[in-house]
Amino acid sequence: MFYLLIVLFAGTLVYISTSERFRSYAKLIAVQGVLLFAIALMELKTLDLGNLIFVSAETLIFKSIVVPYFLFRIINTTKVYKVHPKAFPSFYSLLFSMVGLIISIILSDVLKNPSLDAVFLMIALFTLYTGVLLIITHRRIFSHMIGFLVVENAVFFFSLAVGSEMPMLINIGILLDIFVSVLIIGVLMNRIGTQFSDLESNNLTSLKH
Amino acid sequence: MIAIYFVSALIIAMTLLTVRRLAVARWLMMLFVLIQWLFNGYVLMHTGETDLTYFTYDPAGVLFLGLLTLVSTAAVIQGLPYFNHQTRSTHFRHFYASLTGLIAFITGAYLANEITLVWILVEATTLTASVLIYSERTTHALEATWKYIFICSVGIALAYMGILFLSLSMKGTGMHGLSFAGLAKVAHTLDPVYLKIAFAFVLVGYSTKMELFPMHTVGIDANSVALPPVGALISTGLVNLGFLSIFRVYKALSGSPIFSWMNHVLILAGILSVLVAAGYMLKAKHTKRMLAYSTLENMGLVAIALGTGGIGYYAAFLLVILHTLTKSSLFFQVGQMGRVLGTYKLDDSGFYLKLFPTGAIALLFGMLAILAIPPSGLFVSEFLIMKALVARNSWVVLILTLILLCCVIYAMSTRVLHLLFSHPREGADLHAQCRVGKWETVSQFLFLLVVVGACFYQPPFLQDIINQIIAGLPNY
Repeated sequence: MFYLLIVLFAGTLVYISTSERFRSYAKLIAVQGVLLFAIALMELKTLDLGNLIFVSAETLIFKSIVVPYFLFRIINTTKVYKVHPKAFPSFYSLLFSMVGLIISIILSDVLKNPSLDAVFLMIALFTLYTGVLLIITHRRIFSHMIGFLVVENAVFFFSLAVGSEMPMLINIGILLDIFVSVLIIGVLMNRIGTQFSDLESNNLTSLKH
Repeated sequence: MIAIYFVSALIIAMTLLTVRRLAVARWLMMLFVLIQWLFNGYVLMHTGETDLTYFTYDPAGVLFLGLLTLVSTAAVIQGLPYFNHQTRSTHFRHFYASLTGLIAFITGAYLANEITLVWILVEATTLTASVLIYSERTTHALEATWKYIFICSVGIALAYMGILFLSLSMKGTGMHGLSFAGLAKVAHTLDPVYLKIAFAFVLVGYSTKMELFPMHTVGIDANSVALPPVGALISTGLVNLGFLSIFRVYKALSGSPIFSWMNHVLILAGILSVLVAAGYMLKAKHTKRMLAYSTLENMGLVAIALGTGGIGYYAAFLLVILHTLTKSSLFFQVGQMGRVLGTYKLDDSGFYLKLFPTGAIALLFGMLAILAIPPSGLFVSEFLIMKALVARNSWVVLILTLILLCCVIYAMSTRVLHLLFSHPREGADLHAQCRVGKWETVSQFLFLLVVVGACFYQPPFLQDIINQIIAGLPNY
């Protein structure tokens, strides 16, 4: 079951790196939240009830309901539904994603450690790679934000890896997730979205030299 | 005691958010500065003690806290003219409350003895600093704020991954916390591959705060739009926080097998920082941006000094201390210049010596000091860095650094001399837009005087504190 969830999560990552519609991004972020909830429950059996409730609330309520809700609100407010017409073609994104998956598998084998499941490390590295790829190859700020949310999911995976021994690290990771997501989504909704309606990162290049 | 400090800061910040009169806000800010001085005095008298388990008043924390207190006092005073009674209350309320928060968070992070606590406090500085950067509420300010929040958040997430890798490598050692002292104890037993990944992530993550390559851009944009006193605080207090966070991890891991690898990484990051700074300074057209690139250059030198070791350790700390005083003076002065000329753009500026001679002299001395031209104290630190490079036979690094420093000296001196003596290139109207009092330059001259004094005499207490900080680091 655990491996099935990991494969499903990897599938959402491949889909997110090739998708061109913002609504798909928001839905995939919600699906990732649910998958993370299930993976966290299976991984953190030894945690006490308080920490378990905290992790569940973060993944199930925050990641899969609250964040996607605000993402849909931004899409509806700005009325920007797709990535930039001159965005990186989906086919190349798919190729890059596959390369990333292979690199992650190789790296997780190189870095394998008796106290860490290699599959866990692989999916965390692939998630990090996908998030950074979205930030680098896309031109619209919305895609950058999705990239950041994916990077946050990678951080969550890494924190799960040490969670049973240092539950404090998971809690801190969750607080980072909530704090930064709220900050970034808040600025995007209240300031950037109203000032630059097309959400293009080219609008944010006036500060040079 | 630190609990009382944090509670006081919280009460003042909350009160500041509710006040409607500028005068009340200013008095509250002065009260906070007084508390900062009192707390600084307490920390000085209790050096070596631990408070609330997670805060230790160690020499590094004491040194940087002293510098922060000095700069924040001057920043609060220099920030007074930027608000007047026509300013909307929400603007100055948010500004002063965030300034209080920023100073308190930096103070906490300097003194924290746990890696995770430092990280939390560094993250908190992102929130308060972004409010300060957005204080002018222009499109440029919005752009800089967005970039600051976004890039810092990515950086902070990467630094957190570094911490997670550290904790992964510590699995099975029996350690349940992530204190710097605990990490130093077990560092030699940890998996070097994990430690390398952890250090790389921590360096990249905290480079957003230290304004070091590769995440330096965030600080450059922030400094170019923030009010000059805020720029001074970001370029000194926050930059020092980034440096200290990296240094603490570096020192904790110095007993591990990756010590030499860390040095190579630091030297590489340093060289690339100086290279980028030199390149961009040669085409800088904005005064505050030029100063921000100068910070990148100086932090690059600090990374090179740290990576070189030997006398380089001492030089790195001396450079950080003197850079703090010089860069804050320059930001304060450029702020006054901006008020006199009505612009920060180099092409529209000129004849500053005629319009405000006192400020022009401060700017000239500040430039000589930051470029490490004798009698600047920075000359001593940069000379020691070169000496360390020669001692280590790092001739390529030495020659590259010297060539790049020549570019920096050329770029900065031609621009500052243009500001002082030349006509504006784009025929701007030449009259003072605003009167600036001579008293406003007092703190700048005082700071610069200390920097000049350090060229001839470094007091024993300063040498002692630096030697205590670097004690225990392996030598070449």
